[in-house]
Amino acid sequence: MNKALKNPTVFILFVLPALILFGMFFIYPIFSSIYLSFTSWNGVSTHMKFIGFDNFTKALGQERFWVSVTNNVYFILFSCLLQVPIIVIFSLLIANVKKLKGLYKTSIFLPSIMSTAVIGILWGFIYEPDIGLLNKILSFFGVGKIYWLSDENYAMLSILITNAWQWTGYYIIMVLAAILSIPKELEEAAAIDGATAFQRATRITLPLITPIISVVIMLSIAGAMKAADIVLVMTNGGPAGSTEVMATYMIRYAITSFKYGYGNTIAVLIFVFTLIVTLIYQLLIARRNERIEY
Amino acid sequence: MKKSLVLLLSLFLVTTTMLTACGGGTKAEEPPKTGDTPKQVEKADTSPFEVTLRHTQVGADKKNRLAILQDVVKKVQEETPGLTIKLDGVDSEVNRKEKLRGEMAAGNPPDIFDVFGSPDAQMYAKEGRMLDLTPILAELGIADKFPNVLDPYTVDGKVYGLPIGASAEGFFYNKEYFEKKGLKVPTTFPELEDLLAKIKADGKTPIAAASKEGWVPLMLTNQLWARYAGPDIVKKIAAGEAKWTDPNMVKAFAKHVDWEKKGYFKKGELGFAYGDITGQFTSGEAPLWFDGTWKSSVFKKGQSGEAMIGKVGFFNMPPVDGGVGEQTALMRDSNNGYGFSASVADDPRKLDAVKKFIKELFNEDMQLRGLAEDGVLPSMAVSEDKLNATVTDDLMKDITKVLSSTKGSFPAWDSQVAADINTEFSAVQIQKLIGGQTTPEKMAQDLQKVTDEVLANKE
Amino acid sequence: MVRNLKKGIPHIFLLGYLLIILFPFLFVLFSSVKKDNNAIALHPFGLPKEFVFNNYYEAWVNAKISTYFLNSLYISLLAAIVTILIAAMFSYAVTRMRFGKLAAALFGLVLIGMLIPNNAMMLPIYTLVRKLGILNTHLALIIPYIGNAIPFTVIILAAFMRSLPSEIEEAAVMDGLSASGIFARIVLPLTVPAIITVFIVNFLSNWNEFLLANYFLSKDTLRTLPVGMVQFRNQYQMNYAQMSAGIVYSVVPVVIIYAFLQEKIIEGVTAGSVKG
Repeated sequence: MNKALKNPTVFILFVLPALILFGMFFIYPIFSSIYLSFTSWNGVSTHMKFIGFDNFTKALGQERFWVSVTNNVYFILFSCLLQVPIIVIFSLLIANVKKLKGLYKTSIFLPSIMSTAVIGILWGFIYEPDIGLLNKILSFFGVGKIYWLSDENYAMLSILITNAWQWTGYYIIMVLAAILSIPKELEEAAAIDGATAFQRATRITLPLITPIISVVIMLSIAGAMKAADIVLVMTNGGPAGSTEVMATYMIRYAITSFKYGYGNTIAVLIFVFTLIVTLIYQLLIARRNERIEY
Repeated sequence: MKKSLVLLLSLFLVTTTMLTACGGGTKAEEPPKTGDTPKQVEKADTSPFEVTLRHTQVGADKKNRLAILQDVVKKVQEETPGLTIKLDGVDSEVNRKEKLRGEMAAGNPPDIFDVFGSPDAQMYAKEGRMLDLTPILAELGIADKFPNVLDPYTVDGKVYGLPIGASAEGFFYNKEYFEKKGLKVPTTFPELEDLLAKIKADGKTPIAAASKEGWVPLMLTNQLWARYAGPDIVKKIAAGEAKWTDPNMVKAFAKHVDWEKKGYFKKGELGFAYGDITGQFTSGEAPLWFDGTWKSSVFKKGQSGEAMIGKVGFFNMPPVDGGVGEQTALMRDSNNGYGFSASVADDPRKLDAVKKFIKELFNEDMQLRGLAEDGVLPSMAVSEDKLNATVTDDLMKDITKVLSSTKGSFPAWDSQVAADINTEFSAVQIQKLIGGQTTPEKMAQDLQKVTDEVLANKE
Repeated sequence: MVRNLKKGIPHIFLLGYLLIILFPFLFVLFSSVKKDNNAIALHPFGLPKEFVFNNYYEAWVNAKISTYFLNSLYISLLAAIVTILIAAMFSYAVTRMRFGKLAAALFGLVLIGMLIPNNAMMLPIYTLVRKLGILNTHLALIIPYIGNAIPFTVIILAAFMRSLPSEIEEAAVMDGLSASGIFARIVLPLTVPAIITVFIVNFLSNWNEFLLANYFLSKDTLRTLPVGMVQFRNQYQMNYAQMSAGIVYSVVPVVIIYAFLQEKIIEGVTAGSVKG
């Protein structure tokens, strides 16, 4: 019908830049990582030794690697089990207040537009044992000094709290947008029928916002698998490697220990783990809801 | 005084026999040739060009060292038309463990860079990444001015880097506090432990500590095991002739843990970065501080420990009864210095600039200036009179006294082991030990496991 | 009365939440005008007795905030704009041009990119950037930022373009416009709302990016704000008052921009949430 839109030259010219970049930053890295993951290479030398699955067996047999995997899992659990209920409750609260709605929205969203690195620095100060805010507040309640970032029992928790502090507001706004898009008539009709606010929330609003909660969970998981900068900035994996996540573990080996091949093995494992988690999520949660349209 | 200085000097001549930790690796292509080209530099070429210089003189306590470097840079720029030297300061540990390693992997290190001698510089040199300085040293006539300190930078008889100074490790102590409390510098190990207990009982933190980076507490652990298990134990371990699980080694670890348990170190040390340690000492909170002589720069004019000038002393770790080997040995080496990118050889003007840089930085005047202003011991042979005239403050005198009264020395442990072992020990094990998550025995076993792997891969 | 009380309860919780969010900022702001760590330790919560503005001067000089800020600004802007241009062209080609299965296949391929965690790709990207010879230049960040944002940007823009009615092009073709003419004159202007969304998301994620910026650049003058701030923190760790001033410098511009554009930003970021 219209030739213009079937012009192959234009088509190629239009898709090519994106495809080249995609090839460079997605296709090539995957194959390069997979290839290097079977080698023993220090990243500097001209000699590269092919060692089969040795790196993989080594990684999977390393206690420290599993510590980092566990920490990624903590990230996921913390956001799904603790953050999600808070997100739902607070978005319902904001949706139902009339005054100050704008102020609440604006303020709680603020941390999520800031650089994670700067947030990490800021919270590092708050956690400072001698002059930091948190210990000063706790001392009012007679709690002794807690060495937040240097005590193995608290370090990971401290990072998780900071992470939650930064991102909870962001998710609340997302859920809030979904709640506000629910037609007013539905609620009003229910109110006329004598449903209490609580009943309206659980019977009408909640079912209607499950798809968006599902998105929130998926995003939290994606965020959890990506988390690296906050760990690097706040503890650099310490104390004693107890806050290492997979990505920081990879950096530590690839660069600090001259084990570039092994580092790539970890990269491949991160990819595999992400796929597994996504798959589990799809089976457990997404399938029950309608497919999410982006 | 004079005598001790002569002794000090002669000690530098015989000090530190360095073990090449990364030996045995396959030899890469011939390192790039350097040398005679610069004479062809056209005199007329004054077009602007840049040389990048990575240094680690960042942060509050390195101002003096930075000033020296800046003066050198200025001179080189004046001598070389068109040249701009771009200074790039990076924290020393970040430079060593991340930045430079990444850049070396990428093959684009800065033209001039701060580099740790063994094993880092040696490894880079073996891969052909570093400029061979041997002809330059010969040309400048300073090849024999570095008595026995070039080993960490030497591969197959060729020199690839120059140490900026030498250093030793021991206890700094707060003289004022010692006098007020009637405490004495310990000469035996029981005296030291008694001293620690007394300071603790006085309500102070005996030893300043910042263990966020594992190498910092490991300076003390290293000194302890050198007493218990001998100064050359790490060399033997790296060669597979001894093990971390050596009972004396474990004893040394256990001593460190013992002191941790008794609360002799700053609480929450695992959360403090190296930059924090100075403050613990200068604020009077901790009267003892185990660190390298480079930290004497803190007690110079204009630095953060200015108020304590004249009130700080230095002593060596006392001998341990039944310890193995020389009981006065202390860590001494010259692993901090400058290296140059192999690619400099391709550009005659850059090479010329590098030569001038070496000429201006590595000479007697600068060495003395480093000693006077920054407390860095000379790495080059320096005339005795001038040395005498330079060492005037009490702390430096203390340090030279310690150095001249000790026999034997050992290089820092981390210059003798492969990067894997370094990572395992300093990023994990020592922090676990301090945090109480591992025992001395378990740590020794874990370290040995990594070491065995390294040894197995070497073959 | 009871009704009022009932109305008040949500506000109590919400104000509590607000306090948790805002108080850390206030704490840093107050600390930044205190003399030293001691002054912070003695009066952690309130304003100091005497205001010390020296910290701001010291932090400005020591931390080179202005350099870092400009670097971040121009890298983030440039990368975000180029991403949109390239992704819009691609989206237009696969949604509006008539290449049926091929278009669908290409689109599907790019979608797979969303599954790949990009920080796992850091090492190969590092190698790539090195081979391109752009390590230690701003291009070492700009090009990967553009590349990494392509899949997400394509998803949003393609969805939007697909929803445009097909009549518009038919009319345009009648008028004799070429395929690229339709893109530039008709489809692109219509896509502006979606473009604003992706622009904000991409800009912010470039602005905040830390990993690549930390490892791919080593010259101080090239550093971006997050990396520069972390380095500043590492060097002046013991001086919390000065560090607080540094944090204020890096937070205030963002807050100002947010104050003006908050509606757009909130809308953009939440709409573009697939990026995660």
